[in-house]
Amino acid sequence: MEGIGYKILGAVLTTILAFVVGMFYGGFSRKITARIQNRVGPPVWQNFLDVLKLLFKKTSVRYGFMHHIAPLWMISMSITTLMFVPVLNDGLFFTNLNFSGDIIFLLYIMVMGSLGMALGAGSTGNPNSAIGVSRGLTQMVGFEIPWVMALVALMIQYKTTSVTGLMEVQSQSGTWLMFSSPFAFIAALLAMPGMFRYSPFDIVGAPSELASGPISEFGGKYLSTMMTSGSIFAFVKLTLYVDIFMGGASNLIVLVLKTFTLYMYPVLWGTVSARFRTEQSVRYFWGWPTFFGFIALIYAAF
Amino acid sequence: MNSLVLLILIIAGGALLSYFGHKINKILGNITVFAVALIIPIYWFTQVDFTETVSFTVSGFHMELGYNMYGRLFSMIVMILSPLALIYAIGYMKDQKKLATFYFSFLFSILGMTGILMSRDFVSLFIFWEIMTWSSYLLVIFLGKDVQKTGIKYMVFSAIGAYAMLMAIVIIYKNTGSMMLSDYFGSFAGFTLQTKLLTGILLLLGFAVKSAVMPFHVWAPGAYSNTPMAYTSVFSGALSKMGIYGLGFVVVNLFAQANLEIVGYVLAWLGAITAVLATFSAVFQHDAKKLLAYSSIAQLGYIVTGIGIGTELSIMAGLYLAVLHAAFKGVLFMVVGAVERQAGTTDMNVVSGLVRKMPFTFFTALIAIIALAGIPPLGGFVGKWMLYESLINNGNFLMVIMIFLSSTAAFLYCFKFLFGLFLGQQELEFDHVKEASPIMIIPMLLLSVFLLVTGAYPGIVFKYIAEGMTNLGFHNVNWQMSVLTNAWGDSVNVQHVYLSVVVVFVAFLIFITWRGYKHATKISTKDISSSGEMIKPEDNMTYAMDFYKPFERVLSPILKYKINKYYEDFGKGLEALFDFMRRIYTGNGQTYAVYVIVFLAILLIFSKSIFGY
Repeated sequence: MEGIGYKILGAVLTTILAFVVGMFYGGFSRKITARIQNRVGPPVWQNFLDVLKLLFKKTSVRYGFMHHIAPLWMISMSITTLMFVPVLNDGLFFTNLNFSGDIIFLLYIMVMGSLGMALGAGSTGNPNSAIGVSRGLTQMVGFEIPWVMALVALMIQYKTTSVTGLMEVQSQSGTWLMFSSPFAFIAALLAMPGMFRYSPFDIVGAPSELASGPISEFGGKYLSTMMTSGSIFAFVKLTLYVDIFMGGASNLIVLVLKTFTLYMYPVLWGTVSARFRTEQSVRYFWGWPTFFGFIALIYAAF
Repeated sequence: MNSLVLLILIIAGGALLSYFGHKINKILGNITVFAVALIIPIYWFTQVDFTETVSFTVSGFHMELGYNMYGRLFSMIVMILSPLALIYAIGYMKDQKKLATFYFSFLFSILGMTGILMSRDFVSLFIFWEIMTWSSYLLVIFLGKDVQKTGIKYMVFSAIGAYAMLMAIVIIYKNTGSMMLSDYFGSFAGFTLQTKLLTGILLLLGFAVKSAVMPFHVWAPGAYSNTPMAYTSVFSGALSKMGIYGLGFVVVNLFAQANLEIVGYVLAWLGAITAVLATFSAVFQHDAKKLLAYSSIAQLGYIVTGIGIGTELSIMAGLYLAVLHAAFKGVLFMVVGAVERQAGTTDMNVVSGLVRKMPFTFFTALIAIIALAGIPPLGGFVGKWMLYESLINNGNFLMVIMIFLSSTAAFLYCFKFLFGLFLGQQELEFDHVKEASPIMIIPMLLLSVFLLVTGAYPGIVFKYIAEGMTNLGFHNVNWQMSVLTNAWGDSVNVQHVYLSVVVVFVAFLIFITWRGYKHATKISTKDISSSGEMIKPEDNMTYAMDFYKPFERVLSPILKYKINKYYEDFGKGLEALFDFMRRIYTGNGQTYAVYVIVFLAILLIFSKSIFGY
């Protein structure tokens, strides 16, 4: 069973890679935000220290079943998503389960993590958590629409529903989809900050307003699991964007360069903007991004 | 004896036995109901011969009963869900009066559904359809709540559907001289376009009312939420599927064969619009029953869309969702019933934090909600995936966006349902609540197990769907136990998904539980980080009122238009008309005499022009 052994090793390595890269990105974003605000800021490895510290903390309180499994739900969804997203183009080692899922599947599994977290947050009974969840789900309805429009446009245009299929299209034609289907790319790009929840879309956690919202009652191992999940998920989302629109990556360095460039966009936008109200955020997503989504659909269909 | 006749006799006999059993005494009645609930499915699964037919002639009409594979698929829904609901009812209806009527109507509606699914001619179809409608009507008004409003709405819409169907039957008889369904299907191609459209659309109307397609959905929210929950799970789970059953053969066997796919396409659009609007309505409900009722309408919208598109994958998606919807909506209505019984209310603004009191109920609700939302490891995802892929393969991109909008917004009410009833702050008011009785829990758990299994092995359902689809003209339907494939050859292996989720979940479960869980103290929901404010046990900290206010603000431009309003305006118009009529028919004999004289005078004056002499 050499195959299975390789598979498991590959899966574990992919997870570690995603974790490390995602954590460093978090650290960089903190540093950059601090420099823009004329502070020194924490070191880039600060997030690692946070997770490690939380890992060794004793769990002292629990609220019951749903609270206990919410972080697990989140991380199992993040890692499962990672398994289905192609990390590199040739995919000799990081193949995982790339060929067992397609874009519709990814769309669904990507929203599930937040639903699990929402349930966990709800079970603690903290009203701030509930408010955060209400906002988060509402915002999700907002940004999913242009994002799905962009993806459906691509799927109809290139007659494939799998990520690997779209990557093949790009490697065969030699142009990235962001140039050959520009409207879909614009719609997806405009929808992207909603997924990363930096300002002005940080209405879920809403520092200094909701006391960090849904995660406010999670501490210790729970919080460290959630942070791990969050950084893996950030990596997954960026990789998916790179795979679909920017031709994927042939090696890790190219991957890191591309994803980091993409990641800077919500971060830098966040540093210079104030927070939206929930309905403003949804209206933003149903405005220009959806308009470009429509154009993308029309461009794809005719 | 013929096994089909015996099946009908068993159900009818069961209805009578439980009626008289409950007339004599409660325990005897409950034992009878339990026995009937076991006997019917056991008989159906082991003894019924699906190749047998019965035919008889009543006053010149040839009637024939016999299963086909398509009917058998829907019969399976009825035969699995209804007995479980009956068993659940024993616990749920314990304190109610008039139980004899309840079980009688319940079993008669099962009889009606069973009969519809094996009718091969229009006469028996119509008779059984009416049996089903009437027995369900009796259950809608059973609790005596809002009879004026919901009961009449249900009755009026059912009547519209039934008369449309009757008219279609009459026209068909005039054209073919036969009442057999097969004769109608056979001669459909030879009809004029007008007859084709007229008969088909009248039949569609009849079926669409039962499956609550826009704009005929108005009866559904009230009827679903006013019926005793034990029956609502069948009402929404199985009875509404009778409409789907009919839509399936009309759209696919008739219109698609006659190159009138446009009808199916219009129907698919109606389904998509229904899904979106009903989902938006569901989000803003604060009564859990109403929420589920609207969600049922939305889910039926997906199914109608799947059937309407009419490709192999989309019909498969529609039928698969029909089966799954029966399972998860069955569970959810039972859950609401359990909450209603134990806590006394289903208003999500009032009740909260029941998860610690009713853990099993919560668990089944969670499983059902995951399936409803279409979360990948469970069965619901399979149906959603097939529906999306079939729409994308066909290039119906706007419909995909509509369906996606609807199912993303569905997460909102899915969460609200779980949060409103089970999560949130635990209030003193609900300290007395206890877990529901095992006789109510076990049916819910059994259905949840089904939902868990279909997540990894949807093939167990596909098998019957593929057999059923041979009757819709799709032979050699391509299906695999756990790999889903679309028309472009892209696929999802749900078993891999399941494995991945379970492995990661278990690994982290061990990690997070090991050393720590035991030492952690379980604290109450009043013990939260509240920036130094001391929360007393009686303080109500629940955030549930207007839970999705921001979303409401976003949608406020659309929410103004409610279809209900148009019907009400129409009703008001009619009322004014009848008011005017009442002025003419005063009830005074002398006035009538004047009318007669005036009428005769007019006849005399215009006799030349009217009669010609």
